Amino acid sequence: MSVKVQIPGPLRGLTGGAAEVQVEALDVASLIESLDRRHRGLRERLCDDAGNLRSYVRIFVNDEDVRFLQEKATPLAAGDTVAIVPAIAGGSWGRARPPRRHGGAP
Amino acid sequence: MRISRTDLDAILRHARSGHPFEVCGVLLGRNGGIVDGVVTVANRETEAPRVRYQIAPEDLLRIQREARDTGREVLGFYHSHPDHPARPSETDRRIAAEGLSDGVVHMVVSVEQGERATPTAWVFHDATQGFEEVALEVD
Repeated sequence: MSVKVQIPGPLRGLTGGAAEVQVEALDVASLIESLDRRHRGLRERLCDDAGNLRSYVRIFVNDEDVRFLQEKATPLAAGDTVAIVPAIAGGSWGRARPPRRHGGAP
Repeated sequence: MRISRTDLDAILRHARSGHPFEVCGVLLGRNGGIVDGVVTVANRETEAPRVRYQIAPEDLLRIQREARDTGREVLGFYHSHPDHPARPSETDRRIAAEGLSDGVVHMVVSVEQGERATPTAWVFHDATQGFEEVALEVD
C-alpha cells in the first residue's frame, strides 16, 4: 500500500531534507523497515534495541496513535497518512513519564 | 533564535499567568529559524504540573498540520519553570535525548512569584546529548 509519511525536523537529516516521503508498506512494522532501507538510521531512531517503538516517539496513522491501535502491527491502507511525532515533556524537577493520550491510560 | 516582540510577550504572559504551574507551547516558523508564530498548548501533566509539563502528541499532530497549511513548521517548544532557573533541567535533557530533538529549539522561561519572567533559548544536539544556549534576538 502506498502511504505518505510526514517526517519531523530532527529526522530530515536522514531523508535528505525531505519533510514527506512516499512508502509502500502493509503495516507500521514494514513501513519502518521500508523507511530504514531507503534512509539508513531511521529504524534506530524510532525503535529501541528490542524493536519496540521508543517511549518518546509517537506514530499516527491518519489521526490515530498506533499505541491505541495495534502498535507496529497496525495495518495500512492506500492513501493513508503516517505522521511521526515526537513526544514532548519535561520540567524543572522530577522524573517525567512519557506523554499519554489526554484522558486515557498511560 | 529570532522572535518578534509580540510573540515573545505572548510567551511571557502565558508563563506569568500559569504560575505556579508550568505552562508550555509550540514555536512555529519557516526555514531560517525565525519564530513567527506561537501556539499555547494545555499542559497535560496531571500528577505534578508545578514542576513538570507534557504536550499531548495529538495536540502536536494537530499543530503540525495547521502549521503546514500556512507554510510553516514546528521549530521548537517553550515551557516555564515557576520559581526555578531559566535553563533546561536534567529532566528536560534526558527526555530530549530519548526523543527526536536534534536541532530543536527549546525556550525556558523562569517565572519568579508570578511576576518577573526571564526567557532563555537553547538548542538540543544529539551529538552532545545536551543543550546549547543560543542568543535570543528580539525583533
